Amino acid sequence: MHSQSSARLMRSTGALRSVGEPGLLDAIPVEGWVTALCALDGMGPKRLVALLGCFEDPRSAWDAVSDGQAGRILQVCQAIGAAAPAVIAAWAHQANQCDVAAVWRRHVEFGVGVSLRGEVGYPSVFADDIEPPVVLFHQGDPDVVVGPRVAIVGTRDCTNYGYEIAFDLAHDLSQAGVSIVSGLALGIDSAAHAGAISADGAPPIGVVGSGLDVFYPRRNGPLWREVARRGVVWSEYPLGTAALAWHFPARNRLIAALADVVVVVESHAAGGALLTADAALERGHAVMAVPGPVRSAASDGTNELLASGGSASVARDASDVLIALGMAPGSRRKAIERRSSPSNHDRVVLDAVGWQPANLDDLVARTGRSIPDLAASVARLEESSWLARRGGWLERVAKPGGP
Amino acid sequence: MLATIASSTLLGVVGSPVSVEVHVSNGLPGFTVVGLPDASCREARDRVRAALISTGLTWPQRRVTVNLAPTGLRKGGAGLDLAIAVGVLVADEQLPPACAADMGFIGELGLDGSIRPVPGALCLVDAIETAQVVVAPDSAVEAQLVGRHQVRVSPTLGTLLASLVGDEPWPALPTPDDLPRCVNDADLADVRGQPVARFALEVAAAGGHHLLMSGPPGAGKTMLASRLPGLLPALAHSDAMVTTRVHSAAGVALPAGGLVRRPPFRAPHHGASSVAMVGGGGPRLQPGEISLATNGVLFLDELAEFHTDVLDALRQPLEEGVVRVVRASHRTTFPARFQLIAAMNPCPCGDGGAPGGCRCSGAAVMRYTRRLSGPLVDRFDLRIPVSRPDPRLLVGGVRGEPSSVVAERVLDARHRAASRGVRCNGDLVPRELDEHAPLTNEAADKAESLLRLGRLSARGLQRVRRVALTLSDLAGDSAPIALGHFETAISLRSDPLVMTARSGG
Repeated sequence: MHSQSSARLMRSTGALRSVGEPGLLDAIPVEGWVTALCALDGMGPKRLVALLGCFEDPRSAWDAVSDGQAGRILQVCQAIGAAAPAVIAAWAHQANQCDVAAVWRRHVEFGVGVSLRGEVGYPSVFADDIEPPVVLFHQGDPDVVVGPRVAIVGTRDCTNYGYEIAFDLAHDLSQAGVSIVSGLALGIDSAAHAGAISADGAPPIGVVGSGLDVFYPRRNGPLWREVARRGVVWSEYPLGTAALAWHFPARNRLIAALADVVVVVESHAAGGALLTADAALERGHAVMAVPGPVRSAASDGTNELLASGGSASVARDASDVLIALGMAPGSRRKAIERRSSPSNHDRVVLDAVGWQPANLDDLVARTGRSIPDLAASVARLEESSWLARRGGWLERVAKPGGP
Repeated sequence: MLATIASSTLLGVVGSPVSVEVHVSNGLPGFTVVGLPDASCREARDRVRAALISTGLTWPQRRVTVNLAPTGLRKGGAGLDLAIAVGVLVADEQLPPACAADMGFIGELGLDGSIRPVPGALCLVDAIETAQVVVAPDSAVEAQLVGRHQVRVSPTLGTLLASLVGDEPWPALPTPDDLPRCVNDADLADVRGQPVARFALEVAAAGGHHLLMSGPPGAGKTMLASRLPGLLPALAHSDAMVTTRVHSAAGVALPAGGLVRRPPFRAPHHGASSVAMVGGGGPRLQPGEISLATNGVLFLDELAEFHTDVLDALRQPLEEGVVRVVRASHRTTFPARFQLIAAMNPCPCGDGGAPGGCRCSGAAVMRYTRRLSGPLVDRFDLRIPVSRPDPRLLVGGVRGEPSSVVAERVLDARHRAASRGVRCNGDLVPRELDEHAPLTNEAADKAESLLRLGRLSARGLQRVRRVALTLSDLAGDSAPIALGHFETAISLRSDPLVMTARSGG
C-alpha cells in the first residue's frame, strides 16, 4: 500500500516529477511529512491530530490529503467542521503543488529541529502538559530546558518603568541560573530577553507565534537569533508561517507551560499577558505581577491581577521571584550610582518628572519654570542619563546603561 | 458695421485681455459666437439677447457674429456678457462708437438686464489696458484695487446706456466700508494651560515655521491652530495683493475694503482631493486650498487621514512657494507660500502619546503612520505633543496671555528677521543660516554629539537652527546662538509617531 500510494503521488504531482529520484521521497523522515502537513493553510492542532490519528503514519496521511481522500474520513471532517469539503479541496490543491522534499530540505538547512508528540526527543516539559502541542519546531538546543524557568511577559507598548523592571528582573534571574522564557515581541518581551542576554547567565528560551524564519516584529530579528544561539526558540509552526492573531494565545499557553513562574511586568486591562497568566494558573504554575502606578494604563492589568486576590503575588525584584521558586534570594543591594548627581536646579525637574511619563507641559505646571529653562535642564538630565526622551515624552531612568 | 470692445478672461489667477469683435451685417438673421468660447461663454448669446429685449432695446434682425480675439485662447465664464452686449449695440448703431471708446467692460448679464459680478474681478480688471472699466457694483471694490483705471459701475444695462450716452451721470461708486479692524474672535487668552503649545505657536508665528501637533482627541489642537492667524502681522501690500488675487479668482468672499490684509486661514477637510488642494480644477483652473492659504496658514486637521497622494503633493509647493499646474491644453502657476499647521492623533486609538497609553496593535500603528512620509514629517520645524489640559485649569484656571500681547513680540521678531532680508526665519536657506545663525561653541558641541548619536539628521540640524534663531529673536538675543536656544529648539522637535517611540529589541 505504501509503494502504491507513493506511486500515485508521483503520477499526480508535477512538482515532484522534476525531483526525479523516486528514492528521494523515501528518504524524507516522518517529521518531514508532518512538517508538510503543518504547512497546509488552515491546519490547526485539532485538524492535525485528527488526520494523524486516522492513518498509520504521516506519509499516508499526506498521500490521502493530496488525493483529496481525506474527506472520506469522518473524524477529519468533524475536526474541520462545516467548511470541510472546501478545506479538503484546497489542501489537495496545495499538496499537489508542494514539493515535500524541498520543504524538508529547507528545514534541515535552516537548522530547524522537529519533535513529534510521543516520539523520542519530544520535550518532557510539554509531554506532561494539559494541552501538549502535536509538533514542535525549534532552533537552538532544546536540552537547555533543565533548570528553573521564569516567564517574563507584558505589553508591547510598555513604559520605560516596565522596560527597566523587565530588563533588571531578567538580568538578575538569569545570573542566578534561571532561564528566562518570553515571546520575543516588542516591549516587555524584548526587555526580558535583552536583560537575560546581557547577564550571560542561564540560557534564554523564546516561544514564537510564527515560523522560525518569520521574525515578528521584523526588527527583533537579531534578538531571535541571539536567543536561538544561546538557548532555544520554539514554535508550533513550520518555516514560512506568518504571525496570525490566533497563534498568539496558543503561544502564550506554551510559555505558561514552560515556566515554573510567570511574572507579568506591565499589562493593559485586557492584555495578552493576562492570558498567559490564566494559562499558568490553569496549570498550577505560580503567577507574579509587578505593581505599577494606579493611574498608569500600562499597569491596569497587573494591578488588577494583584488586587483580584490570591491569584498573583507581588514581584518587586528578582529576590521575590527566587523565593517563589524556592531558591535562595540574593542580597537586595542597592546598585552603585555612577551618574553624576544633578544640580539642585535640575534635581527639581527630575523630581517633577517622577516615575511616570511626563511632557514639558506637565513640567511647566509642576515647577512653574519657563520652557527654555526646563528645556535646558532636561537636556542636561538627558545627557547624564537621568532622563530618557521618547516622542516628546520624558521618563526617568533608574539605572543607566542597561536597557 | 463692426465694433471692438475690450474685456478679459481668467485662467488660474491670471487675467488675459480679450477683444470682443461684433459684426452686424445683412443676411439671414442669426447670432454666432466664435473664438473658442466654452459652454458658459457660448450661453452668453441667449443672455445678451434677452437682456437687450428686457431693457427695451431692439435686437437687430440681421446677422450678428461675435469673435473673441485672440481666438487661440479658451474663454470661460460669463464675464464677457457685458462686452458682447455693448458691442452689439455699437455695431447695430444704437450706441455711438465714441461713447464706448477706451472703455473695458466686465460683467455677467441677467435676463432682466441687470449687471452681475463675476469671480476674479481683480485679475480681470488688471488685464485691461483701457482708461475706464465698467464692472458690476459688487465688483467695484476689487476693481479699484488695481488702481490704474477709472472704475465705473452700473446696476443694469439700461442705466449703463444712459450713462454712456451722457443722459445721466455715472452712479456713485459704493463706498468701501471702514477698514476691517482686527476683529479676531479666536484669542489666545481662551487657551487654558498648554504652555508648550502656546509657546510653540508663538515661535511658529514669529519664524513662519511649520508646526505639527500630535495628541489625543480633545486636547485642543484645532483651538490652538485657529489662534495662529491672530498672532501673525498684517500682510504687506504686495503680499496682500497676491493673496487677494487668488481669493478673487477663486470667488472667495473678500473682506470689506477688498484687500485681504489679514493672513488667510484655510482648513480643508481631510477628504480633500489632490486637485482641490493643489489647484487646477475646472476649465478655468481654479486655485487650490494651498494657494488660497498663500501668505497665511494652511491647517490640516487629522493629518494622517488625508490621502497620501494629497500629502505628497504638498512637498514641492512647501519647498518652492509656488505650484505649477499643467494640463494638456494650458498651464499656469499659482502662488503657494503658506505656513503649514497640522494636527494628528499619535495612533489610531488616539491615546498613544504617552508611553504605555496606546492600545493599538503594532500593525495598526504601522498602517496609520505609514501614511505620513518621512520627508513630509521632516518639513515640520516644530513638532510637539499636545495632551489634554488639566480639568482644574479648564474650570478655574486664569485666562492666558491675550493674542495682542503675543502678536507684539511676534512683530518684533519679524522685524529682526526682515533685517536679514527675509520675511521670516523659516525662509532662510542654509547658506544664509551659516551667515546669520552661527552657533556658540557649546551649542556646536551639542549639535555634533546629537549628529554622532544619530538623534539628528543634517537636514534636521538646519531646521533646529532656524527655530533656535527665532527663539533667539524672541528673547532679544543676538548671534551667535546660545546653547539654551538650541536645546529649546530640540525640545520643540520631538518625534510625533508612537511607533518609533516604542521600545524594541
